[in-house]
Amino acid sequence: MTDVVINPVRTRVGSSHWNGGAPVAKSLGRHGARPLHNTTNGRFLCGSRGFLATWVARRFSGGGHEWTVDSCPPRLKPWATRSLGPFGCSQRPRWALAVLLLVVFVGACGEETAQPEIVLRVANWSGAQVESSFVKLERTFREEFEAAHPGVSVRIEQIPGHGQYAPKLLMMHVAGSMPDVIQLDASSGAVFIDNGVLRDMVPFIEADAGFELDDYFENVIDIARRGDALYTIPLDFTPMMMYYNKKLFDEAGVAYPRPGWSWDDFLETAKKLTVFPEGARGPTQYGMYFENVMPFWVLWLWTNGGDVLDPTGKRAGGYFDGPKSIEAVQFLVDLMTKYRVVPHPRESAAAGVDLFRSGQAAMDVKGHWMMIDYQADGIDFGVVALPTNGVERATVVYYSGLSITTKARHPQLAWEYIKFMTSADVQVRRVASGLAISGNKAAAAHFAGTPVEDAFLAEVPYARPPWGAVVERYPFIEELGREMMEDILYSGGALSVEDALRQTTKLIDAALAEQ
Amino acid sequence: MMKDTREHNWRGYLFVAPATVYLALFAFLPMVLAGYMSLHRWHLLKDEHPFIGLGNYAKMFADPFFRNAIYNTFVYVVFSVPLGVVAALAVAMLVARPLRGVGVFRTLFFIPAVSSQVALSMVWIWILLPEVGLINGAMKWLGLDGSTNFLAEPGWAMAALVAMSLWIGLGPRMIIFLAGIQSIPEQLYEAAALDGCTGWQRFRHVTLPLLAPTTLFVVVTTTIAAFQLFTPVYVMTRGGPRRTTDVVLYHIYKEAWQKFDVGMASAMSYVLLAMILVVALVQFRIMRRGLSEAGAAA
Repeated sequence: MTDVVINPVRTRVGSSHWNGGAPVAKSLGRHGARPLHNTTNGRFLCGSRGFLATWVARRFSGGGHEWTVDSCPPRLKPWATRSLGPFGCSQRPRWALAVLLLVVFVGACGEETAQPEIVLRVANWSGAQVESSFVKLERTFREEFEAAHPGVSVRIEQIPGHGQYAPKLLMMHVAGSMPDVIQLDASSGAVFIDNGVLRDMVPFIEADAGFELDDYFENVIDIARRGDALYTIPLDFTPMMMYYNKKLFDEAGVAYPRPGWSWDDFLETAKKLTVFPEGARGPTQYGMYFENVMPFWVLWLWTNGGDVLDPTGKRAGGYFDGPKSIEAVQFLVDLMTKYRVVPHPRESAAAGVDLFRSGQAAMDVKGHWMMIDYQADGIDFGVVALPTNGVERATVVYYSGLSITTKARHPQLAWEYIKFMTSADVQVRRVASGLAISGNKAAAAHFAGTPVEDAFLAEVPYARPPWGAVVERYPFIEELGREMMEDILYSGGALSVEDALRQTTKLIDAALAEQ
Repeated sequence: MMKDTREHNWRGYLFVAPATVYLALFAFLPMVLAGYMSLHRWHLLKDEHPFIGLGNYAKMFADPFFRNAIYNTFVYVVFSVPLGVVAALAVAMLVARPLRGVGVFRTLFFIPAVSSQVALSMVWIWILLPEVGLINGAMKWLGLDGSTNFLAEPGWAMAALVAMSLWIGLGPRMIIFLAGIQSIPEQLYEAAALDGCTGWQRFRHVTLPLLAPTTLFVVVTTTIAAFQLFTPVYVMTRGGPRRTTDVVLYHIYKEAWQKFDVGMASAMSYVLLAMILVVALVQFRIMRRGLSEAGAAA
């Protein structure tokens, strides 16, 4: 009954026509089931009642598409040929309405594509922090990939905020709606790698003659290894480094720090850079800024030969409460309370005010990404390796990479996408903003030659993976560490560092034991 | 006749169907599932879920940090609910007057209710900043000490969250009170005026008793919302300083998303539900007695 073409009308459902008399609506409304045919992209919209088709047309009216009221080609017309009798039955309009509402609700209104497209879904966290030019760049990459793979459309799903990123992806995995490719932060990678959320990439690498794993930094690659399996190809990474404000150093007449400096050197430097006016309640300028974020301060344990967990990552006893860790935390606390060269959290302003960026602290331990902000602030900065206390240089490498999910619908295409995104050509443009060091050696080498970049690259061999890449509950342990530091600093000396570390070690071991 | 009634019923079910399906799918079913999960050791991503009976419940009450979170939650409820209700009533009395431009004020007071809690939290972080924040800035301008970092002081952080809650929750409570106030017949006030009642006496003996049902509703809904405090804690304090703002819902979040122990998180959710139910029932009981006494007096 719906095959007969009654008054085929060629109408442009652009905004100008649509807002006026709506000729489509008129023709549709009178003659019942009239599918809309979009002659611009070849899609058929096989609606049932006139207003449904109209509603669909309205949804797509923004793009300036050409539409004709036409009959569906037979293969695209499941409703008209099968059990859709109730739609035409004028004596049972209520049924028609109910079913219609259901159809609209479910969103199954036959939007048929003449040429099926493959949609590759890619999840990342929003690039909002890095201004919109970065987002624009990402769009360029997507378009280049689509141009090289006809019939493929890449859908980037931005999930803002590190706090919600992993939870949302894990829920998508459980619910079976996981994207094909996900960007991962190494410091929360363990829960993904160890629970079958990601695919082993080795088979893809071995089958691909155009891909060489040697093109990437080895100790960055190794973070996502489990035995022979490899779960992530790095996009970019950063060791944590000591930034220093050259202007403040020059004003104080202090020489810039050099790699290989010790904690004692650091303390002397920090003292010289602290300005504590006579009679003031606190310093007006500090030697170093400190934020109670464990990923930032765990490095002080490492540069003293201490650690949070034993090498297998199974327990904290003997490590987090070991003498080297106690000494390291004591040193940090002393910097704030005894020497007063680092602001106590009480003294540093609440979230959002960074004393290094405001020129009130001369040093800060941060990663490559902060460079973008420092440059924007006009800070003349240098970077240097972290000071150590009688052990070899050590730092952490925080990185992000791309993984293929086990529930990916297009794994091979996902691999192609990852290969493209981590290629030197794309990487050179991607990290040009100063975001991080490219995981691709060729792209990283492209930016070498400046003192700052060379200082970063020189630290790569000393960089260790973060515990979060190996231990699933490490984000929780980091929360315990942050709370512990708060307990110590706000107890006013009542809680000794040793006792605090012993208590927290018990909590960490309890959390690890029940895993 | 019979047929008509049946048809009415049939249509009635159709009308309530969307809400019923929605509630069943997105409220009742998850509640039942959470109850089931709370009796198991249930890792979000692992396949084995061994049954452990009330093990999760036993463990959480043995955990001093969870007991601390319950304590903090009650502290927040005890302060934010009465203050919030009184503030809303006071503002409702003010904007109930037929003044010119009063609509503007009603709108202004309601704006926080339609804003994102995350955005409001960011605004409050700024308000509470030391030295440069609104409060500390004003105190410095008055010649007082303006260096208190409210969100980093164990003694202040919870107070700051309570203060913020008064403002965020003000709009909806005010609107409900406003509706209650405006439904009080004018004759009662005229009679009271003839009896020589002062403004305060009119409020005390006419407005307040007649607002009792409204007050009950506002108190109960405010209490439920207060027990579910989460967003400002997550954005502003992360449970700190020294766990003074670690509340039950934030604890549940940490169990589920830092430890991936959704069994424990479900069990804690049930404990929170029980807390809310008990407190709400007590409130109903107390205030219903108050209602009947008011009725007897009138």
